Amino acid sequence: VILRHPSAGLEAKDMTCERVCASATASAGDRLGQVAVALLAAVLSASTAHADEPVPDPRPPRLSFSGFGILGVVHSSEKDADFTSTTFKPGGTGHTHDWSAAVDSLVGGQLTVRPTTKLSAIVQVIAEQKYDDSYRPSVGWANVKYQLTPDFSVRVGRTILPVFLLSDVRQVGYAHPWVRPPIEVYSLVPVSSNDGVDASYRVSIRSVTSTFQVTAGRSDSRFPSDTPSGFATAQSRKGIALADTFEAGYLTVRFNYGRTRLTVPELAPLFEGFRQFGPEGVAIADRYDVDRRLVEFVGAGASYDPGRWFAMGEWGRVRVGSVFGESAGWYGSAGYRVRRTVTPYVTLARVEAKGSRSDPGLSIAGLPPPLAGAAGGLNGALNALLSTKPVQTTVSVGGRWDFRKDAALKLQLDHSQHGTGSAGLLSNLQPGFRPGEGVYLFSASVAVVF
Amino acid sequence: MGHTARAGLVTATFAGLILYAGAASADVVVVVSTKSPVDTLSRSQVVDLFLGKSSRFPGGRSAVPIDQAEGSDARNAFYLAFADKSPAQVKAHWSKVIFTGRGQPPQAVASGGLVKKVLAGNAGAIGYLERSEVDDSVKIVLSQ
Repeated sequence: VILRHPSAGLEAKDMTCERVCASATASAGDRLGQVAVALLAAVLSASTAHADEPVPDPRPPRLSFSGFGILGVVHSSEKDADFTSTTFKPGGTGHTHDWSAAVDSLVGGQLTVRPTTKLSAIVQVIAEQKYDDSYRPSVGWANVKYQLTPDFSVRVGRTILPVFLLSDVRQVGYAHPWVRPPIEVYSLVPVSSNDGVDASYRVSIRSVTSTFQVTAGRSDSRFPSDTPSGFATAQSRKGIALADTFEAGYLTVRFNYGRTRLTVPELAPLFEGFRQFGPEGVAIADRYDVDRRLVEFVGAGASYDPGRWFAMGEWGRVRVGSVFGESAGWYGSAGYRVRRTVTPYVTLARVEAKGSRSDPGLSIAGLPPPLAGAAGGLNGALNALLSTKPVQTTVSVGGRWDFRKDAALKLQLDHSQHGTGSAGLLSNLQPGFRPGEGVYLFSASVAVVF
Repeated sequence: MGHTARAGLVTATFAGLILYAGAASADVVVVVSTKSPVDTLSRSQVVDLFLGKSSRFPGGRSAVPIDQAEGSDARNAFYLAFADKSPAQVKAHWSKVIFTGRGQPPQAVASGGLVKKVLAGNAGAIGYLERSEVDDSVKIVLSQ
């Protein structure tokens, strides 16, 4: 279970510009080409499906391969900060790149093996921009599932935690209408993977189906940072998550609760520094450190999709003690399917971090000069972390065009208005950046499944 | 480039993209083997079986849904008439299920004749046919 405040990644990225700016520019074109070739090859190989078998076997095949990909570019109106789709990615569009293909592009493949009707195993590998600006494939899913009854299953291994309605398919762009799920909500808990166990139980009462899922486990997620290693780690331990999804006809309603213990070891030296300054420093460290902090998440969402149109909305709130505080986000989105081929949509979304964006820190008056300098440095680092709390409201208009049965083109225009003094969800802030204003984003992508 | 110019670009592009989607309107019925104890099903029971939301008939017998080939008139008409979904919407639904390890779509066969063959050998199987293909080897459990 990984429950983490987005500020962790944003702050870290703000300090990584030199590394990112130097390395990203040179190789972005190469990577774009690699992703394009991979996607193209995948699409071409997709259309070899059915041959004429005389006696069809109605059981599912023992071995199956499926894949998905997104090739997309994003442009930002703000040149003094970067936009990224998750806190795990460095760079982005705006300051680092005028147009960035790294924000949304990815390719994934999944192998499913079914030795018996009750036992199955899946491995899913995804290549996308990572915390270190590499595209090394990583394993998102790798688990063995045992279907005890048609309605009760247990999985052991790595899964993606389904915190939101679409969090477990957010990388499968073909599965949802937007260029990307609204980051005001989906960045509250930037779910990586969960290593552990989960159980799912389905019960139908009349026309309502309820699927209850409980997950327990741990995870380590790396995000970009200016530490010597180039990354920081969100360590989630003793995580547990509960989700109940109700489906009745066109309506889906979902409720979530999750909790975990979060540690960011790379922040430990900062708070150890504070603890050297006596009771005042210890009090500050106790309030803000990120050492086995209890993180709690609650969320609810609903979608209604009668075919010709859809409407959906979600709300979530995450509470992390510590420097990350509390954030809440929501969105509402609706679209109409014109001839079931072109789907224009609008989305309204907001994220709001609670609490102060600054702290007076250690009292410097009366300290001898060397100590005063150290205390000032600690205060500065603490306030840099506190200042990244996001407040923004975004209006998006866009459309999806299903131009062939396994591929969709999506265009989207976003306008985000930042709260007073906030940089919203932007990162890598440059000296010329002015908080409290706003940003326009234009995104275009093609999403495929194969 | 101004913001209005960008918004205009989006609008113009989408206006240009709207194509005629094609309307499959074959008369499709849902069938099971004559050996099946199931006589009638509701639209939502059928849709739940074919979209993987349920794996059993009312009463608890396990069900094996049989699809027809992607792109066939029968398949397009079936999902449009009973589930209100276009081929792309059905594919989007299954991409959500497959890539979360929750299941696999029904096996597809190449023709209505093959649907009847599978049903003849499997009392738990359920399929759909164009009404003109129905014969006394199958039993209609739901019509449009």
